[in-house]
Amino acid sequence: MKNKQTTLATGVIEADAVIIGAGPVGLFQVFELGLLEIKAHVIDSLPVVGGQCVELYPDKPIYDIPAVPVCTGQELTDNLLKQIEPFDPTFHLGQEVTLVERREDGRFDLETSTGTRFITKTIFIAAGVGSFQPRTLKVDGIEAFEGKQLFYRVKDPSQFEGKNLVICGGGDSALDWALNLVGKAESVILLHRREDFRAAPASVAKMKELCDNYEMQLLIGQVTGIESKDDVLTEIKVTGADGVTRRLPLDTLLVFFGLSPKLGPIAEWGLEIERKQLKVMDTEKFETNVPGIFAVGDINTYPGKKKLILSGFHEAALAAFGAAPYIFPEKKIHMQYTTTSPKLHKILGVETPTFD
Amino acid sequence: MTHVVTESCIRCRYTDCVDVCPVDCFRAGPNFLAIDPDECIDCAVCVAECPANAIFAEEDVPSDQIKFIKLNEDLARNWPSITKTVAPLADADEWKDVKDKLQYLER
Repeated sequence: MKNKQTTLATGVIEADAVIIGAGPVGLFQVFELGLLEIKAHVIDSLPVVGGQCVELYPDKPIYDIPAVPVCTGQELTDNLLKQIEPFDPTFHLGQEVTLVERREDGRFDLETSTGTRFITKTIFIAAGVGSFQPRTLKVDGIEAFEGKQLFYRVKDPSQFEGKNLVICGGGDSALDWALNLVGKAESVILLHRREDFRAAPASVAKMKELCDNYEMQLLIGQVTGIESKDDVLTEIKVTGADGVTRRLPLDTLLVFFGLSPKLGPIAEWGLEIERKQLKVMDTEKFETNVPGIFAVGDINTYPGKKKLILSGFHEAALAAFGAAPYIFPEKKIHMQYTTTSPKLHKILGVETPTFD
Repeated sequence: MTHVVTESCIRCRYTDCVDVCPVDCFRAGPNFLAIDPDECIDCAVCVAECPANAIFAEEDVPSDQIKFIKLNEDLARNWPSITKTVAPLADADEWKDVKDKLQYLER
């Protein structure tokens, strides 16, 4: 890439374009910007790329990607990653954008939850249905213990050593942590609301084996209440399938109910929002009411909007052209075809074919 | 952010909506379906499927149906997931246009 990305002495990354969201549309935005010689940074709250295709329905086949008769969300993501390889985007995963602020020089300050900071000329919000947050346990008063005795994610497993743990959930996260913490914790009880598990069968078999050996316990039921003493959570009430509620003393409660999308801090950046979607000013550039901030894919709305991946791809192409004048104010931008343009072939790192 | 199943579904439960849901957010009760508000991503494809016009975006729920927003949330918590269409309830067609069906809701 011709244009340089610089990291200032303060650790702030100077960028031309920051894309928020690494779903299919965010990934294709990298491609469209790349053809215009604009290098992109991509931020996503999930630790992996693919967005809702991978998080919500990785195995469901998709039939309406042009020229791809059928593919899964994971295959689509893998292909897009391959396609954008020449443009060498920088990914910043597992972090959520917390701040977007216009600077006096017209660029934006942008910060993430892990402290990555950017000064960028343009922002592309391809955040789909929002950032994925852990689904919480809905029991009155439980929120007071979050971060102390109630955890929705594990940052430091050593803090659970020697503790009496109750782990809620039936997916891979719940099973993996149960298996991991057996032997390290004082006791481990896995609590799931039904007998069947979404987790990998091998993990479920391993868990049952540990239960048979009295190394951990499995309970079927749901948390329906809590007891606390002096601001310390002492026990939970578990209602079983038989309708009977039992008391269960514990030190720490780990809850893995999967992730659900939330619009999050995007609502606070001064962007015009219509029915929880970002309104774009026109369908020429897909720019929001804040010049320099574009919205593409499922997160935007405009007359006739259809939440289709292919619509997002089209929006990404026009948003890239719409953004180019902010990045190269002097340059006249021409559209070229990847079939014939020697300039694009150079950008893509491919040979220009010769025809007899 | 969610869509909401309202009164028209009670005693009909056609279940046409569940096949089209990309995120499997419908929950089935004895004579009503509920949408789990934590799972729904507001794609809106279910709205057009319902023969009883029972599904609305949260912002569009008619004023006399507002209580169904909370009701969906509460019922979804305890009802099992439904991801494939099943046969409608026996008298679905007779009950489709009947108003004031909340009294018949079975939990």
